[in-house]
Amino acid sequence: MTPATTFVGSPVSRVDGPAKVTGAAVYAADFDIPHLAHASIVQARVPAGRIAAIDTRAAEAAPGVLAVMTHETTRRLPWHPRDPRPGVDPKAGERLHVLQDDVVRYDGQPVALVVAQSEEQARAAADLVRVDYAPTAARTRFDVAYARAPSEATAKAGRPGDTSRGDPEGAFAQAPVRVDVPFVQPREQHAAIEPHATIAAWDEDGRLTLWDKSQWVDNVRTEIAHVFGLAEDRIRVISPFVGGAFGSGLRTWPHVTLAALAAERVGRPVRLALTRRQLFTNTGFRPHTESRVRLGAFPDGRLTAILHEATGQTSTYEEYAETTLTPARQLYACPNVATRYRLLDMNVNTPSPMRGPGAATGELFLETAMDELAHALGMNPLELRRANLAKTDPDSGKPWSSNALAACWDQAAARFGWADRPRTDEARRAGRERIGSGMASAFYPAHRAKARARVTLYANGGAMIQAATSDMGPGTYTALSQVAADALGLPLEQVRVEIGDSALPPAPAHGGSITMATLGNAVANACAALRETLGADGEGDLTPALRRSGRDSAAAEGASSPGKEAQEYESAAFGAVFAEVRVDPELGTVRVARLVGGYDVGRVVNPKLARSQCIGGMVQGIGMALSEEAVFDRHCGRVMNANLSDYLVPVCADVGALEAFFVESDDRVFNPLGVKGLAEIALCGVAAAIVNAVYDATGLRMREVPVTPERIVTAQAARGR
Amino acid sequence: MSETTTGAGAPAREPVRAPARDSARDDASPGVPPAAHPVRLTVNGEAHDLAVDPRATLLDTLRERLRLTGAKKGCEHGSCGACTVLVDGRRVVSCLALAVACDGREVTTIEGLAAGGRLHPLQQAFLDADAFQCGYCTPGQIMSGVGLMAEGRARDDASLRDELSGNLCRCGAYPNILAALRRTTGIEPAPDATRGDDRLRAAAGVDEIARDARDGAGQGGA
Amino acid sequence: MSRYLRPGSIDEAVGLLSTDAALRIVAGGTDVYPSLGEAAARAAFLDIVRIPGLRGITRENEAWRIGAATTWSDVVRAPLPAFFDGLKLAGREVGAIQIQNAGTLAGNVVNASPAADGTVALMALDARVEIAGSDGRRVMPLGDFVTGVRSVALKPGEIVTALLVPDRPAKSRSSFLKLGARRYLVISIAMVSAVVDLDDAGMIAEAGIAVGACSPVARRLPALEARLVGVPPAQAADVVLASDADVLSPIDDVRARAGYRRDAAITLVRRTLAACAEAAR
Repeated sequence: MTPATTFVGSPVSRVDGPAKVTGAAVYAADFDIPHLAHASIVQARVPAGRIAAIDTRAAEAAPGVLAVMTHETTRRLPWHPRDPRPGVDPKAGERLHVLQDDVVRYDGQPVALVVAQSEEQARAAADLVRVDYAPTAARTRFDVAYARAPSEATAKAGRPGDTSRGDPEGAFAQAPVRVDVPFVQPREQHAAIEPHATIAAWDEDGRLTLWDKSQWVDNVRTEIAHVFGLAEDRIRVISPFVGGAFGSGLRTWPHVTLAALAAERVGRPVRLALTRRQLFTNTGFRPHTESRVRLGAFPDGRLTAILHEATGQTSTYEEYAETTLTPARQLYACPNVATRYRLLDMNVNTPSPMRGPGAATGELFLETAMDELAHALGMNPLELRRANLAKTDPDSGKPWSSNALAACWDQAAARFGWADRPRTDEARRAGRERIGSGMASAFYPAHRAKARARVTLYANGGAMIQAATSDMGPGTYTALSQVAADALGLPLEQVRVEIGDSALPPAPAHGGSITMATLGNAVANACAALRETLGADGEGDLTPALRRSGRDSAAAEGASSPGKEAQEYESAAFGAVFAEVRVDPELGTVRVARLVGGYDVGRVVNPKLARSQCIGGMVQGIGMALSEEAVFDRHCGRVMNANLSDYLVPVCADVGALEAFFVESDDRVFNPLGVKGLAEIALCGVAAAIVNAVYDATGLRMREVPVTPERIVTAQAARGR
Repeated sequence: MSETTTGAGAPAREPVRAPARDSARDDASPGVPPAAHPVRLTVNGEAHDLAVDPRATLLDTLRERLRLTGAKKGCEHGSCGACTVLVDGRRVVSCLALAVACDGREVTTIEGLAAGGRLHPLQQAFLDADAFQCGYCTPGQIMSGVGLMAEGRARDDASLRDELSGNLCRCGAYPNILAALRRTTGIEPAPDATRGDDRLRAAAGVDEIARDARDGAGQGGA
Repeated sequence: MSRYLRPGSIDEAVGLLSTDAALRIVAGGTDVYPSLGEAAARAAFLDIVRIPGLRGITRENEAWRIGAATTWSDVVRAPLPAFFDGLKLAGREVGAIQIQNAGTLAGNVVNASPAADGTVALMALDARVEIAGSDGRRVMPLGDFVTGVRSVALKPGEIVTALLVPDRPAKSRSSFLKLGARRYLVISIAMVSAVVDLDDAGMIAEAGIAVGACSPVARRLPALEARLVGVPPAQAADVVLASDADVLSPIDDVRARAGYRRDAAITLVRRTLAACAEAAR
């Protein structure tokens, strides 16, 4: 045994891999709870109005039905107010108080719940519930004329309505070269393959256990404690495996309350598993956002003005806002910058963070406009970016804790072969297809939060790491094992990680790319604390020290929270993405032949898993660019493709050669472990690079995603006229 | 590092398992209406005589009655492949198969793949190639891959991509899934895949496999 | 009340159907179950998939008989003449492989979705539908059998027993192309199947071209088929006119708008004919 092995930085396989390839990994709906009953939601079929009448008699008489719950028959819950959680909750408004009144706020809102012996019975009976509505006027059309400025609470939370530095309008007016680019990002769905599901069970003492799909078990506990007026220690939330979430598991959605209510009503554990259709309206989504970017530059490419306006949709009952305009303020050096953010209240369920929230959308807008500017300047798009590198944060003036964006540009361009890309019409032709190349920068602010972790070392050489964090796929189990194995001087296979349980030491949301910068340091600190407790020196196997102490085991906790660096520095992950597309101009089809992404994410704990995460972001970016749109019917206020046959996430055959790599980076200013964060940056810039490559191939400026075959053909026809 | 058996790493990282239950619950399930239909399903080599609701899908029967939760529910409409199992050796989406219609059939699920604690080569290849992130679609992907190998339809890289396209992976592990399948089937990457992981078949139903990456830099990845 | 019946013969199946009009005929089940939606409460199934002799492809007289329980994978794997290539290509596009392993050709036809990939290829091949009922058996052209969206000319108590594909000359080639907004596992925006028979001089003697997802029922293009007679296959694509799409009546839906569908269909017709010519070389 050679405990000197360094696991951090090495490409070990997933420690939870054997469970995942054998079917042994247990997700929320998989838990086998005795005497389980099943619930099914009845959804509103109008976008706004009141429930005039509900007839539940047929449903109540259906086989196996245990209860039918409506706003008339459901007890009033306290719904104690609580502060919105940063990065997760809307900053203003009030969450949906499900089954508490007769108001319909959006199509798909739960208006009744059927509980039955089996899931088939619950669904069959749910179909028998008759609801009469008194419809009222609904806003189902995205019309910026009705947009409004965000509230003060939202503005204070980094989503201001209006910002300005320098003289943006004046500088733009005087800029020798200008572009003015509108763009539309439609509503996108997280579309994780695991549907959200909750099992709720109350015990005789009124304690509630929830087996739930969640990226933040502590948040579920706190939310349900407030909704039901319970002390938090009466609730336990368990979520060991999460079948993808991409942000949909950050908030506690109404179905969790419904599951707990149903279990209370029937006096048995109840499982409520959302159907694929229900997921579209009972969890969040990336909001439809419309944008206008104006850029002004000198002939040498230096930006003199950035003016970015964006309007995002939110619901009528909560104010969800995104950091869409942060990249405009921070990504490039520019003295004159204005941003203007507006919100449009619509009769939809509330949007929520989806991978790269705000930034992925904002960079699609900004980076496609940068491409237009490059062409207006007659300049290589890569050179335009290089001419505007922000050596410090242009918004705050603070230094970056680290910034290797220039290395990302250089190395990714070299790997892609950017200098040798086809640039003549002849070279761009490949049979009936046209070849196009495009690029974009990627940027996502790095943060970390407060967390605790516990380590327990056993005399037999095993160790246990515990924290209430989560692993929705990036590899928290593995990466925390690596950190602990190094800190304890143990072989990797002797470290076990337990997460996804609110009974464990508290952790923040598993989202926003903060998990390793937060928990990684907490685990390292816990291990250091244990080492100190045992009076051992700086490194090596800690087990002998434990044995010398005569104990069977020893435990310690460690904490981690942001330090002074959060005030003194700006921290962010950076990247550069290059795309090669093939466009069939006749049919309008686009395929992504190659993507190359170079990333500055700080220290990489596990290159194998980190590469997987970046490739996964690229695949989602292909969907964002080419196929994903929740089609919202403006007449009936309903998502028309609420299924996986017509909401098109990429399939294997859509994906070309993907290459992701990491530039040298190790940000010990940001945190002792040196990591910055990886999940969000992996999506940022991908769609923009693809859209820019489509322009290179076709000369068509596509200003709305997804770039469907029909849109290409329509744009060509418009150009021909 | 390479894991070779299902027991690798245990007990240190024993997965959190559902509590074991008495399988005698089958016919005592209160949810089964009187019209329950008798069927015999042979699942992973073991015969089960069950009385099932004629509406019950094979997926629900495996998951709720036999407590084999490896096959996952993703869409219930045959659109995602997460519920893929083998019936008489052929892959099917168990969300669209009625349990009654499988009477007398041999069903293989992910739980039946590792023989004697030893992983199936494709399971091992998935581990080695990191062919998953969240793991939710993984049982379906692997069963689809095992079915693919048995069906013998995939002869080249392009058809391999099509053959795998019945299984969605939202984490986007496709290049690694392909790598795992290639390794297990011996299918070579397309010859002009000179960069990155692989290449792409022509778009949207058109026929030819177009020339892809230009000559140049070598294999990428970090 | 839900029920499930598994008859041992066509006669028994027809007898059961005559006594219970609520029974739904099921083969692979891949279309039936999702169409029940979330209200499967009263479903009653008549499962024909194990009726002896109903699965497989045989040559009988001047036609190929595809039994009603024959799956798409059965067709894809079967050693069949080249004029079946279009049908095989269509079979590879019906849902996922997992669907093709269970779903049947007859089910695809009876389900009568405007976007049914298989029906288009069968229609190009002049397939006929063999139907059993209490009055015996009858055969009708596929083009007459599918009467509208989710509507077929099946009388109460009747059951489709086979699809009959007329034999074609040895020098016959076919192809199939499908357009969707993603590369695979996608409901078609438009799809085209074409078959061309060549004469001894290598000219087109007869052509069958069908377009799907561009009208309530897949449509043949008879005017184009007539113009193609006597044309060398390599020039077939040049014979296609934009007006050949006039018989189509595409709609706007979540997948595409009508105008794009019409244009794309014509492009696909040209390319499908080019693929036939390529196969004939």
